[in-house]
Amino acid sequence: MTGTALDYLPVLLGWAVLVPLISFVLVVLFGPRMGRHGRLAGYVATGAIMISAVLAFVSLFIWLAVEGTGAELLQHGTGHDASHAAAAEHGAGEGAGHGQEHADKAEHGQSHGGHKPRVLFGTWYVLSPPGIPEIGISYYIDCLTVVMFAMVTLIATLIHIYSTGYMAEELADEVVDHEAHTADGRHVRRRGRYHRFFQYLSLFCFSMLGLVLSGNVAMTFIFWELVGVCSYFLIGFYIERRSANLAANKAFIVNRVGDFGMIVGLMALWGSLGTFNYGDTLDAQGHVQARGLFSLIRPPEHGHRLHVPDGAVKAAAAEQVAAVVADHLRSEGPSEEALANAKSEVQSRLDQWRQEEPGRGAYWLLVVAGLGIFCGCVGKSAQFPLHVWLPDAMEGPTPVSALVHSATMVAAGVYLVGRFFPAFVPEVLLIVAIIGCITLFMAATIAITAVDIKRVLAYSTVSQLGYMMLALGVGGWLAGLFHLITHAFFKSLLFMCSGSVIHACHTNDMRKMGGLLKKMPYTGYTMLVGCLAIAGAPFFSGFYSKDYIIAQTIQFGLDNPGWNVFYYLATIGASITAFYMFRLWFMTFWGEPRDQHVYEHVHESPPSMWVPLVILSVFAVSVAWSVPGVGLSIESLLEQARPAGTAEGVGVGTLLADLTYRSEHLSHREAIHAQATTVATLAALAGFLLAVVMYAKRWIVAEEVARQFRPLYNFLWHKWWFDELYQAVFVRPVHFVARLVAQFDRTVIDWLIDGSARLVVAVSTWGERVIDRASVDGFFNLLAQWVYDLGLRLRVLQTGRLRQYVVFIVVGTVALFVLVSFWTGSAIGGR
Amino acid sequence: MDFHSLIHWVQQDTLESLRLFAPELVLCATIVVLLLARMLLPRVQNPMVVTLVGSLAAFWLAVDQMGNPQLPQHAELFTGLLVFDQFMVFFRVFLTAFLVLFVIFTWRSGIPAPEDGTDFYALVLGAALGMCLMTAANNLVMVFLAVEMASVPSYALSGILKGRRESSEAALKFAVYGAGAAGVMLYGISLLGGALGSLHLPSLAARLGQVLAGHGGEVGQVVLVLGGLMIMVGLAFKLSAFPFHFWAPDVFHGAAAEVGGFLSVASKAAALALLVRTAVGLSYVPPEAPSVAQVAAPQAQGAAEPRGAQAAPAVAQARVLPTAFAAPQQGHAPDHAAQAPQQAHGGAEAPPASRMALNQALVPARRFAAYLIGLLAALTATFGNLAAYGQTNIKRLLAYSTIAHAGYMMMPVAASLMLQDEAAREALATLLFYVVVYLFMNLPAFYIVALLRNRLGSEEIADYAGLIRQSPGLVVCFAAVFFSLIGLPPLAGFAAKFAILASLAHAGLWTLLAVAGLNTALSLFYYLRVIKVMTMDPAPESQPQVSIPLAASADGLFALVLTLPLLVIGVYWNGVFGWAVQAVAPLFR
Repeated sequence: MTGTALDYLPVLLGWAVLVPLISFVLVVLFGPRMGRHGRLAGYVATGAIMISAVLAFVSLFIWLAVEGTGAELLQHGTGHDASHAAAAEHGAGEGAGHGQEHADKAEHGQSHGGHKPRVLFGTWYVLSPPGIPEIGISYYIDCLTVVMFAMVTLIATLIHIYSTGYMAEELADEVVDHEAHTADGRHVRRRGRYHRFFQYLSLFCFSMLGLVLSGNVAMTFIFWELVGVCSYFLIGFYIERRSANLAANKAFIVNRVGDFGMIVGLMALWGSLGTFNYGDTLDAQGHVQARGLFSLIRPPEHGHRLHVPDGAVKAAAAEQVAAVVADHLRSEGPSEEALANAKSEVQSRLDQWRQEEPGRGAYWLLVVAGLGIFCGCVGKSAQFPLHVWLPDAMEGPTPVSALVHSATMVAAGVYLVGRFFPAFVPEVLLIVAIIGCITLFMAATIAITAVDIKRVLAYSTVSQLGYMMLALGVGGWLAGLFHLITHAFFKSLLFMCSGSVIHACHTNDMRKMGGLLKKMPYTGYTMLVGCLAIAGAPFFSGFYSKDYIIAQTIQFGLDNPGWNVFYYLATIGASITAFYMFRLWFMTFWGEPRDQHVYEHVHESPPSMWVPLVILSVFAVSVAWSVPGVGLSIESLLEQARPAGTAEGVGVGTLLADLTYRSEHLSHREAIHAQATTVATLAALAGFLLAVVMYAKRWIVAEEVARQFRPLYNFLWHKWWFDELYQAVFVRPVHFVARLVAQFDRTVIDWLIDGSARLVVAVSTWGERVIDRASVDGFFNLLAQWVYDLGLRLRVLQTGRLRQYVVFIVVGTVALFVLVSFWTGSAIGGR
Repeated sequence: MDFHSLIHWVQQDTLESLRLFAPELVLCATIVVLLLARMLLPRVQNPMVVTLVGSLAAFWLAVDQMGNPQLPQHAELFTGLLVFDQFMVFFRVFLTAFLVLFVIFTWRSGIPAPEDGTDFYALVLGAALGMCLMTAANNLVMVFLAVEMASVPSYALSGILKGRRESSEAALKFAVYGAGAAGVMLYGISLLGGALGSLHLPSLAARLGQVLAGHGGEVGQVVLVLGGLMIMVGLAFKLSAFPFHFWAPDVFHGAAAEVGGFLSVASKAAALALLVRTAVGLSYVPPEAPSVAQVAAPQAQGAAEPRGAQAAPAVAQARVLPTAFAAPQQGHAPDHAAQAPQQAHGGAEAPPASRMALNQALVPARRFAAYLIGLLAALTATFGNLAAYGQTNIKRLLAYSTIAHAGYMMMPVAASLMLQDEAAREALATLLFYVVVYLFMNLPAFYIVALLRNRLGSEEIADYAGLIRQSPGLVVCFAAVFFSLIGLPPLAGFAAKFAILASLAHAGLWTLLAVAGLNTALSLFYYLRVIKVMTMDPAPESQPQVSIPLAASADGLFALVLTLPLLVIGVYWNGVFGWAVQAVAPLFR
């Protein structure tokens, strides 16, 4: 356990988190003075994230060197499941009644070969005072952490480089913002804010990496809010634009809704489990000292199967516990001993309660905790129904959209669901799947009609995040997180390409573009790569990950008859994805220029912008490939981190008894895989062909189609009326109530306060005049005058006549003697 | 003990004493050198330099004795007339350090006039010698002699401005008043000595203890009280305590500011040391005290043969001195004390035996002294502060300020007499701390007054108007001194006053504490008035040039050097206080 190179990982990754923070502090303090217009700030921030990237990749290599590629795990799992394949299909066919039995068998079969992931967990600094459960600055490092670090730092580095080019226009004493107007209708002129942009980027990198590294829920929550606030700053970067302000507020407020749920979940976890730590705390010998969340919910002695924890049972059986304690206190009298006996009886009766009504309550506690956590993820990952903020968030500068709002922060929700995967009970996962499925379909349809290039991508992001949630929700842990990684690469590529286009055209409206391929070849071709990747063209990264997802939905449909809807919607979604992505590409780069004025000013972006595009496009193609020979791939790496106990499937529902989650490896069977590949490819091809027909060849005129399906078109154009719905259901009533309250405040409360203030003033004026000036001042003035007069009178004693002085000696002595003789009688002798 | 061995012992004793007496000897030698130099080298001699060298040497010797483990912790010098301990060493270091600073002060301020230099410094050194003796007095005769030795040169010093009528008048008043006070004191000493049969303070304390315990024969209570009271009158004169302060305002007003500084710091410190010596010495039997039996013996004999009684104490004292000098074992002395009377008188009325019992019997005496001192302190502080109102002359104002501070400084003496052992020592240490701080409050005050007198030709407060515009640094120093005198943080005056008030609270002297607090508030007014005149009032048209830059002139620099310790001690007062605690260790054992 000791002495491996892995021991360096906490230090390396810890520094990878801190370096951007250092950069942030430097830029905050000295940003405006860093070179002309703060140009150096960009280099500082870029250098910092580069250092983080180097550290992250060193960590990744250390991991590979120590732990291996994990390819054998993948092979082993597939082979093992293949042998079970027939039985599995058989069991699924027989229905729910035997599902439980079969699941037990399968888990039994695998428990001897069950892989327990390698986890480094530790605490750097304990914040909580001793005596209460530990909350500290801790880390939780498994292969997922390392892979996420590598992905985030790599993309962030490229985006930092890209930003030095994209934000170059901020390098001026005066920047004219054409989209913001002053009160008299002129464009806003302001100082350049180059350094401020990088200061926020650095803070964001720190928060994002901290979020990935954090080892307990409290820390996760803090970093969660930190990335949220960075997102707020960055969306509102063009603060003079009203739309940017509104978008920033919207993002912030909508996320608070999700975070409210998250806090409920945290409280449920804390109340029932009494710890926030993910991993087990080990002592110096490597023995478990205190259990973390995951091993409490999936204890090793139960084969890492879902097990309602003791704490949750106790919390749910509060009445019974109280009864037991009261019994003991009554029969044995109030003593320490009685309490100890009560405690042991409670312990002995836990298993019984677990089977009875309290057990059900405890299970509900887990459901609430899981749903609460997921609520936060819904907000952050812009899932239905809290997806409305993400499209508006495109008001921020495009590099921000690429980094924060596609690749990293919004994926944090998916990451957290992946992290909490072992703690989610099947019912929660089903909700996750439903939400993800609705999101992916809804967002994809909206993207069809959007004309703002970034909004198309934004809805595409929402849709892809929905895919990931769906994958996790149907038990595809690997599928969901795999898609997270691949998506991060091609979506940031797409955003950066769109940024390049916007940089050239100075507009977001695709209807004014067209035929840009000739003028912007780098951008055009790299974007094509991105489109192919997201659409799932064979051998592009998106192809592999989407395959996993669709295969998993098929498997889920097999295990749970009646839930095939996921499979259908995911496939349709894949088709729509291909359609709207190529619609975007064709409208932008293909055909004739629609706006000559725009076209004439278009030029390819500087190398600092297109070089990252090329690099990213290479990744977008190849990130899902496995290295030939060694079998190293993202999947194999992720497989190493698969939470203990989930390889055999999450388990069987308790509240919904026929809900079955079986091993994810079952979906890797040849039959399912082939079906998924075929269907997904065909769906994508269909979407692609439709796009070609409508936007490249224009055999079908899009406007005509829109006219013919006017109601549907309007529905999509208005984004399913979500904003209007929320406006009517939430915003208006809140405004109404707020107005009422404000009215009450102004008329009643203000009147009361003003009245009392006036009363106080009146009383104090009167008091000042009558009491203070006449009485108190008079008294003190009199006293002062008296003391002063006394002083002056004492001066008279000093006559200056020597004869009197000598007499005073005698008088003084005699006076003293007289004075003393009053109390000598009692003081001396004591007689 | 035959005659030869007595002579031998006296010779031993004197030689040993002279070794510990070295700083005083250096002062004596300096006086002789000063006077000889004027006769032999009238051209080249510079009395200031000679004095400076002499006082530096004395200072160095005194510092050398501080906490020196090779020296005895406690020793009686010259057959018990003086006592050597760390308390005395503390004040000797203090006084010699003051001398050094004072000589520099006179060098900068230009008084005395060159032709008076030798006289002036000889008088200063003589007075300082007397003050050193005051701090070491162990015998009522020595108390009187030391007071006179310090006072007589002071009379002459206050008349050193020969041409000025006020100066001569001040000297005359001082001398006559001093003579009166000395007479009263001498009367008190003879009363006490006659009644108790000794002048040696530890013997006196032991006798007094026996008397108070009811074993001392017929000694009138009135005689004892009157004796103590009259000695107190003499000390109160030196302290300028109300109602024996009358000389102070006139003398400070009439004499030069230099003399004022000398009297207000050195004379007051020595007087306080003497107050402690007398009050504690009379009401506490130290371990080194001559065996109780021998003190008791003459009284018993006296009852039988009254004629021989007068001679007996001296002989008895002389007989016990060798044992006292050899620092007897503490455990040994009481045994001896217990046995001796038994053998001498058989079953006669047994006097209280152990030192502890005697000290217990002395509690009423301590309480009497504490009340007396506390009463005088309260009166003095209140009177000084009230009378300072309405003063227009800065020296007169400082004179009353000095009187008020004498009151403050008497308070911890009262407090320590009410307490036991460690607590008493700590209470007394606050006095020593205050004395050190007081040096850095009053000496710069008089120094700045002297500087301004040289420039402005005036010592009226009204003439200081608007000084801040001419020499801001000096005014800031002056203000710092005043703020410290009031007792505002972060200056040393605050720490000192706080320590004193704390000691009063420990001793449970709540009335005194209230009086002291009230006085602090009272004193705000007249100090701030001077600052207000200097900073806020507009300067008169005809104000002479008074620019004294603080850092760029020797005058200003010395003012800064004198004032800066106020801030330093105000912040880091542990060092000085720790030193003070060590110094009072020999008392209250």
